[in-house]
Amino acid sequence: MSLLEIRGLTTEFKTEQGIVKAIRGIDYTVDKGEVLGIVGESGSGKSVGMLSLMGLLASNGRVTDGTITFDGEDLTPSNLDTKKKKKQYEEKMRKIRGNDISMIFQDPMSYLNPIVTIEKQMTEGILYHTKCSKKEARQKAIELMKKVGIPAPESRLKQYPFEFSGGMRQRIIIAIALACNPKLIIADEPTTALDVTVQAQILDLLKDITKDTDAGVIIITHDLGVVASLCDRISIMYGGNIMEEGTSDEIFYEPKHPYTKGLLASIANSSADKREELKPIPGTPPDLLKLENECPFAARCSEAMEICTKYNPLVTEFSPTHRCKCWLHCRDRYKEVVKGDEADE
Amino acid sequence: MNNEAKTNVKPLLEVKNLTKYFPAKGGKEVHAVDGVSFTIEKGETLGIVGESGCGKSSMGRTILKVHEPTGGRIIFDGEDITDFNHRKMMPYRKRMQMIFQDPYASLNPRFTVGDIIEEPMIIHKMGTPKERKAIVQDLIETVGLKPDHIRRYPFEFSGGQRQRIGIARTLALKPEFIVCDEPISALDVSIQAQVINLLEKLQRERGFSYLFIAHDLEMVYHISHKIGVMYLGNMVEFGTSDDVYKRPLHPYTRALISAAPVADPKQAKEKKRIILQGEVPSPLDPPPGCPFSGRCPYATEKCKIKKPDTYEYDGRKVACYIYAPENVKQYSDAGKTPEEAVFLK
Repeated sequence: MSLLEIRGLTTEFKTEQGIVKAIRGIDYTVDKGEVLGIVGESGSGKSVGMLSLMGLLASNGRVTDGTITFDGEDLTPSNLDTKKKKKQYEEKMRKIRGNDISMIFQDPMSYLNPIVTIEKQMTEGILYHTKCSKKEARQKAIELMKKVGIPAPESRLKQYPFEFSGGMRQRIIIAIALACNPKLIIADEPTTALDVTVQAQILDLLKDITKDTDAGVIIITHDLGVVASLCDRISIMYGGNIMEEGTSDEIFYEPKHPYTKGLLASIANSSADKREELKPIPGTPPDLLKLENECPFAARCSEAMEICTKYNPLVTEFSPTHRCKCWLHCRDRYKEVVKGDEADE
Repeated sequence: MNNEAKTNVKPLLEVKNLTKYFPAKGGKEVHAVDGVSFTIEKGETLGIVGESGCGKSSMGRTILKVHEPTGGRIIFDGEDITDFNHRKMMPYRKRMQMIFQDPYASLNPRFTVGDIIEEPMIIHKMGTPKERKAIVQDLIETVGLKPDHIRRYPFEFSGGQRQRIGIARTLALKPEFIVCDEPISALDVSIQAQVINLLEKLQRERGFSYLFIAHDLEMVYHISHKIGVMYLGNMVEFGTSDDVYKRPLHPYTRALISAAPVADPKQAKEKKRIILQGEVPSPLDPPPGCPFSGRCPYATEKCKIKKPDTYEYDGRKVACYIYAPENVKQYSDAGKTPEEAVFLK
């Protein structure tokens, strides 16, 4: 059984303009020791899926459908209609957050509390989740700081976040995430705020950690370069859907979805002839407020057919690991979706 | 390219030993730009790469005299504009323009798109209102927006469209030289290529020269004819983009290019990455010797004491003792190039 299994997850946000369906029935599985990369542009729902899992959605957000199973336990936050159920769910999640599942966030500047020492911030989770003394927690914090490559950890524990550089802060955040030996680590754009040479350091650290621990890792990013070097499997999101999922070789060398293909063609690659013009995807990402049941990419897709503008495509499997959500690959199965008179066309 | 034809022509922009220090607390100074020299020809793109805080944006702004330079000379089209006052600068402002990073902050939210594009022409007293309207109409189409967008407000547009509005505003003054300060880093991956292609098209049609500042190395390589690499206010390497990217000479350039993530799993695995230790030192008190000496794996005692000059080597400018003529001679006497002697030891 997989460590994490998400089936048909749907999350909505109530806004003044109407209901935004941020994710529309997504499936994920992550095994122990596996690195899954979730790639998508802003608004594709890549972060919302993980926030739904952690129960950290903003107050106007709600999981309306789907199931989440983590390590054999049901973590689905739907049907929280009574206060009692809400409380039970909250208590369950509190035991899991920072313990079995931990998160690494994008911005190391705003994630750490600026007026609390590093020691307190690092030991807080350890003291909450494990039975140990302050001294033991401190010892554990020092070990963790050594592990993530922070020199002179004893003296640095007493310092405040502003005394650390961006890369060092990100190391602290990784150390905090590792504190309770999590089974699953979710890293949301872990290197976006960092410089190239520091990014390489942090990616190396993440690679070592995934090798050392048996934890499953989910990396959320918009940078195809980051997932190429780090991930076993990659999932491409667009407009709240998973458009394509496969091993990193399948995604990079045998992309099936027009969006994946477009994305790969639109990035500059130094090995290609530089005088070759880039091939951008025309148009702009969809407005999630206006998106109905159609394929979210249909408006920008060069191969869109009539059916694409009306019905969300079915999933086609190319290999046990490779699946793609596009009508181009499942044209003959349209009758499963299209009913009645329309089907005759 | 047609370099032969250009050899006798003056460069469009010549920057000599430019410095910009900002005053800081305690009588200290931030050495943002610390003696940078280069030239840009007509119709040419110079890409500037470097990590945050290396002074690339400060340099771009100092060249446009948004910041008063502390020292050095800026020569635009044969005219030394370094000491020009506001009034004398006015005609040059028209010819030297800027595209900003953040398409959200650089457009006035209370102006319609038409007003935004027209404003610089009003300031420079160009044309009659009727003529200006026609130019706006024209520009809107040039940058790929629709005619009815003129009456709309910035909030109605996506990031990529806003960047197009910013570009149209820049074009209104018919500039010759444009500083593009991270024009794509706030945009989604699938939109970045659209903007890059637009900039390239405009260059082909109108012969613009660009100073293209970015941290995405692959994009800079794609768009630039020449590349300058900056580190802590210094230009450590300067040459054609193929030279710099395919065969970097300076130890910092080598590390920077090797650390850039590649969106290709096979290349990523094969790539030998040089992981630098530590982070960029503070420009408040830069090290006395070579700015990179603290992190450089090849640094000698001399590097830590005295800053190297910029040496010409193999058609390039490199600020590193490895390429000092006496050292190059020493290596060649031993039958080796400097690279073989130092990096492949």
